[in-house]
Amino acid sequence: MILEKLRLEGKVAIITGSGRGLGRAMAVRFAQAGADVVAAARTRKQLDETAEAVRATGRRCLVVPTDVTRSEQVNAMAEATVKEFGRIDILVNNAGGGEESLGKRIEEITDAEWRRGIDTNLSSQFYACRAVLPQMARQNRGKIINVASGYGLRGGKHNYMYACSKGGVIQLTRSVALTYAQNNIQTNCIVPGIFPHNEEMMRFFKGGKFIPIGRPGDDAEIAPLAIFLASELSNHMNGELVVIDGGGLAGGVTPTGVVPQMQS
Amino acid sequence: MEPSLKEFSLETMAAAVIGAETPVGRAAAVALGEAGAKVLLASQEPGTEKQLKEAAKAVGTSGAKTAIRVQDATLRGDLSATADLAVKELGGLNILVNALDAPFFGPANAADDAAFERVMEGNLKTVWMACQEAGRVMLQRGGGVIVNITSVVAERGVPNASLYCAAKAGVLNLTRALALEWARKNIRVNAIQTGWLDEPNSPAVRKDEFSERLLKYLPDNRLIKPEDLAGPLLYLVSPAAGFVTGESIAVDGGLLCRV
Repeated sequence: MILEKLRLEGKVAIITGSGRGLGRAMAVRFAQAGADVVAAARTRKQLDETAEAVRATGRRCLVVPTDVTRSEQVNAMAEATVKEFGRIDILVNNAGGGEESLGKRIEEITDAEWRRGIDTNLSSQFYACRAVLPQMARQNRGKIINVASGYGLRGGKHNYMYACSKGGVIQLTRSVALTYAQNNIQTNCIVPGIFPHNEEMMRFFKGGKFIPIGRPGDDAEIAPLAIFLASELSNHMNGELVVIDGGGLAGGVTPTGVVPQMQS
Repeated sequence: MEPSLKEFSLETMAAAVIGAETPVGRAAAVALGEAGAKVLLASQEPGTEKQLKEAAKAVGTSGAKTAIRVQDATLRGDLSATADLAVKELGGLNILVNALDAPFFGPANAADDAAFERVMEGNLKTVWMACQEAGRVMLQRGGGVIVNITSVVAERGVPNASLYCAAKAGVLNLTRALALEWARKNIRVNAIQTGWLDEPNSPAVRKDEFSERLLKYLPDNRLIKPEDLAGPLLYLVSPAAGFVTGESIAVDGGLLCRV
C-alpha cells in the first residue's frame, strides 16, 4: 500500500534546529511516522521540550546540544548518534537564521554579521553533510534534506547574506547528490517561500498578499514534504529542489493581481 | 490512519488519468487508486483498448473506469467528454494527471510540418486541452489539482530531439502559467519531469551506443521506472502539498544536477 511507504518506522533522523518552530514540528511528525529522533540545537531547555513531545509518541529522542556553526560540535552530534543508535538514516539540515537581517542596508552589515550568517546558514549544512556522509556511505543508504529558501534562487532588495547562503545550500545539495548517488544516498532540498514566524515578519511580508495563492505558508505545511523526502517514496529524486511557495517562483515577471491584455 | 499519513490520503477523491494506456499513465492510475482515489483511465489513442483494460485491471476493484477516444471524435470533443464523464461516473473531478507522451527523435532538418503537428499534439496540445476541459469542471466545482508529466528535456537541449524538447518545455511552462492563473481559484497545477525512462518506447532501452553510454552517464546508473513516479505524484496531488503550485519535481536520480 503506497501510503505505508511514507512510514519512517525504526529510522534514525537527525534534525538540526529542532528546539523550536519548524524543526520541532518536523521532529514530532517524524516520530509520529515511526522514526527515532536526534534533536540538535543550541538551547538545551528547548531541546528537552522537543524531546518530551517526541517521546510522547512512543519513539526515542536523543538530545544533543549543538552549535551548528562549530564543526567539532557537529562532528560530535554525528558520533553521538552512531553511538546511541548504531546508524544515521536521515539528516535534516534545518538550522539557520538571519531573516532578521533582511532589509539592512549593505553599508550597515558588519564583517562579523556576514560571517555569522554564512556560518549559520551554509557552513552548518556543509559541516553536517561532511559529518554524516561517511557513515551513510558505509550503510549504503541515507537521506539528506537541506532547507534552503526561495531567496536561494532569486535576489531580494537589501538581501545579501541570506540570499547568498541559501543559494550556497542549493549548490551544496546538487554536488552532494551527484557525488553520493551511487551510494544510495538521496540529497534533496526544500525551498520554502514566505513562512512568517511572527507578527513582525507577517507585517514585513505584507501578509503575503503578493503570493499567487493569496496567503503565506505555515510551518505545519513543510513537515509533510520533509516526511515525503525522508521516505522511500522519493528514492529516485536526487539533487532536486522542491519549491513550496504558493506559486511565487513559477512567476515573477508580472505583479500579482493584474494580468496582461491584448492591444485593442 | 495516523495523523502523519492522513494528509497524503486520496480517500473520497476522483481522478482522471489522460494517457492511461502508457506505462507511466498506468503506474499513475495504480498509485492514485492505491492511495484511495476513484480513477477514470482515459486514452486518446484509438486501438489501445487492450492496454487500457489491463491498466484498469491493475488499478483493481476500487471503482476504476475507462474511456477511449472513438475514431471519429475530435481531440477537443473527446477530452471535453472525458472531463464530464469523470463527474458522471466518479461523482467529481478532483485530480487530473496528464501522463501522455509521444517521443520523437530525428534530425531537425528531416522533420516535416506533419511531424511538428504530430509531436506538438501528442505532447503539448493534448495537455493544454485536457487542462482546459478539466479546469472548466474544476472551476465550476470549487477546485482541484492537476499534475502534468513532462521530462528533464523540458529544460535541457538534446540533439536529435528539437521538437520533443520544445513540446516538453511547452508543458512545463504551461504548468506554471496555469498555476498562476488559477492560484486563487483553488486549483493547483504542478509538473513531474521524468528522467530517461525504462519503457518500451524509450530510446534509452534500445540496444545501441546511445543507451549504453547514457546508462554510465546517469548519476546512479539507473533508468527511471514508471512506478518511480508514484511517490512524487502522490505528494503533489494530495492535500499534503496544499501550498505547492507552479512547481515541477524532477524524478531523474540527480541527472539535472550535472553540468
